[in-house]
Amino acid sequence: MRVSKQSQQFARQLFRLSLAEGQVSPERVDGVLAHLAAHPPRQPLAVLRHYHRLIAVQLAKNRALVEHAGVINDGILRAIEATFTQKYRRPVGAAARPDPRLIAGLRIRIGDDVYESSVAAQLTTLSLSL
Amino acid sequence: MSTVIEQIEQQIALLSSKAVKKNTGTIRSVADGVAKVDGLSDVMYNEMVQFPGNAIGIALNLEEDEVGCVVLGDVAGLKEGDEVQTTGRLLSVPVGKMLLGRVVDALGRPLDGKGPIEAKESYPVEKIAPGIIVRKGVTQPVLTGIMAIDSMIPIGRGQRELIIGDRGTGKTTIAIDTIINQARINRLGLASKDPAFRPLYSIYVAVGQKQSNIARTIATLEAAGAMEYTVIVAAPAADNPANQYVAPYAGAAMGEWFMENNLDALIVYDDLSKHAVAYRQISLILKRPSGREAYPGDVFYLHSRLLERSARLAGKGSLTALPIIETLAGDVSAYIPTNVISITDGQIYLETDLFNQGVRPAVSVGLSVSRVGSSAQLKMTKQVAGKLKGELAQFRELAAFAQFGSDLDARTKAQLDRGSRIVELFKQPAFNPIPIEVQAAVLWAMQNNYFDPIDVKKIVDSANHLREFLTTRKSALLGSLREKAAIDDTLNAELKKALEEWKSSLAA
Repeated sequence: MRVSKQSQQFARQLFRLSLAEGQVSPERVDGVLAHLAAHPPRQPLAVLRHYHRLIAVQLAKNRALVEHAGVINDGILRAIEATFTQKYRRPVGAAARPDPRLIAGLRIRIGDDVYESSVAAQLTTLSLSL
Repeated sequence: MSTVIEQIEQQIALLSSKAVKKNTGTIRSVADGVAKVDGLSDVMYNEMVQFPGNAIGIALNLEEDEVGCVVLGDVAGLKEGDEVQTTGRLLSVPVGKMLLGRVVDALGRPLDGKGPIEAKESYPVEKIAPGIIVRKGVTQPVLTGIMAIDSMIPIGRGQRELIIGDRGTGKTTIAIDTIINQARINRLGLASKDPAFRPLYSIYVAVGQKQSNIARTIATLEAAGAMEYTVIVAAPAADNPANQYVAPYAGAAMGEWFMENNLDALIVYDDLSKHAVAYRQISLILKRPSGREAYPGDVFYLHSRLLERSARLAGKGSLTALPIIETLAGDVSAYIPTNVISITDGQIYLETDLFNQGVRPAVSVGLSVSRVGSSAQLKMTKQVAGKLKGELAQFRELAAFAQFGSDLDARTKAQLDRGSRIVELFKQPAFNPIPIEVQAAVLWAMQNNYFDPIDVKKIVDSANHLREFLTTRKSALLGSLREKAAIDDTLNAELKKALEEWKSSLAA
């Protein structure tokens, strides 16, 4: 479905209203959703989908998804949280997800940034350099 | 076998165990060679991005919540949800003398099956043009080997001279003739071991052309032995518009290497009309606002930033540009032709009517101009061709007037006769450039009335005969002309003697 510029702009406006001190506020999101339910805009589905995307991107910035092969304990996750909270100067929570394709090591995703320290990635680099 | 293992182990050891940071995004949509990507928050304008399957893209549209990238390569393997990475690098192409004799694509990858190109350096495709201070005046000639151009519309090293005309009027032929002539001059110059000789290397950029036409051009250059001094950058019509958009900039980067390394180069953009069309296609898909003829607002900048990169630099080399523009029904006042006319230092205008009348090259002397003037012309050419443009202009005026009156005075008739003889003299077959010393001798013969007794219809044959006579029997005279590059009293006398001899041989 083609999303009009007006719908995108409106979604962006709603997104800005959903932030409190640079973070997504659940209360404000509730308020925005209630407003949309009461006063549906033109192309409500498009607006909501775009709004959803913007919120998801913002939430991903505060979440470190730690993909790992092998065992990872809580201590490592807490250390990762502390390191990235300091680095990005915003609260970052860590969540683990096992991925045996990495062979060994970690891959951490925070928003658009990916920190790669896995054997699989090194082997890919090696195969490209040969 | 163990050495192979050791090599791999060394390579593994070289790889850092530290975490590597990448900035990534996700493809949201792919259409017509353009991918809309979510994420890539650290991407820079014009930065290279890496798509899956080794495809490369350029970030052209940086929007609030998405990035528009043109994909240089096969988009068939890309799909929604694929991961894209920033590279932190601008698009670069290999440069250097290793490219001479090769046919490459818009990214500098070989297309000719002659193996990989071992280039030591690479230059960014987009680069800011040299400023005012580092530039030098255009004073050294680029000899095209085409009499009408070398004598009346001289081109200099570092100049931008537009070749403009309708389809099928011989625009590419003029460019190819020039490349062939440079190769001939380079061979002679390098064989002479003259330390002052500066070879001129050529780069031919084919944008949006049929593959068969490009193949024919390559075959022509190979047959003329010009490929060893030429690089061909091909982005044919079948290529995606992103490659067609990048190809002229890639060619310019290759030419800049010669310029920066105290060498001279000539670049032909064939043609910029198709380049503008490719850019329009990309811009429309990227949803940039369109303006006149649906071109985006920055279409002038598209060509100005490309052509401004051609220059003659103080203490370094030069890059001469011959952009080609195809007009529709002779309309030079269309958007792209007027843009490029205003950017370049002159234009060679080819007329369909002249072409159909058999005047080939179909150069319209009245509409063609070189803003560098005679400062980039050899003294001998100035001596013999200084008045030619004026004489031809007078001829055209009188020819139009003569259509209405049958009784003409003797002076007018003589002027008409002379004009028609000059027009005949400038007829020249394709891919057959004439050395400048031969041109000077033939024009000297015209100025000294040696062609006057000859029937107008026989001028072309007589001129061919004279060129053959001079080349085969008066090579010493031509050698002196080439060396001195000016006609002094001695050469004047020698030319007179040679021409008398030719006259008697012609009569016999």
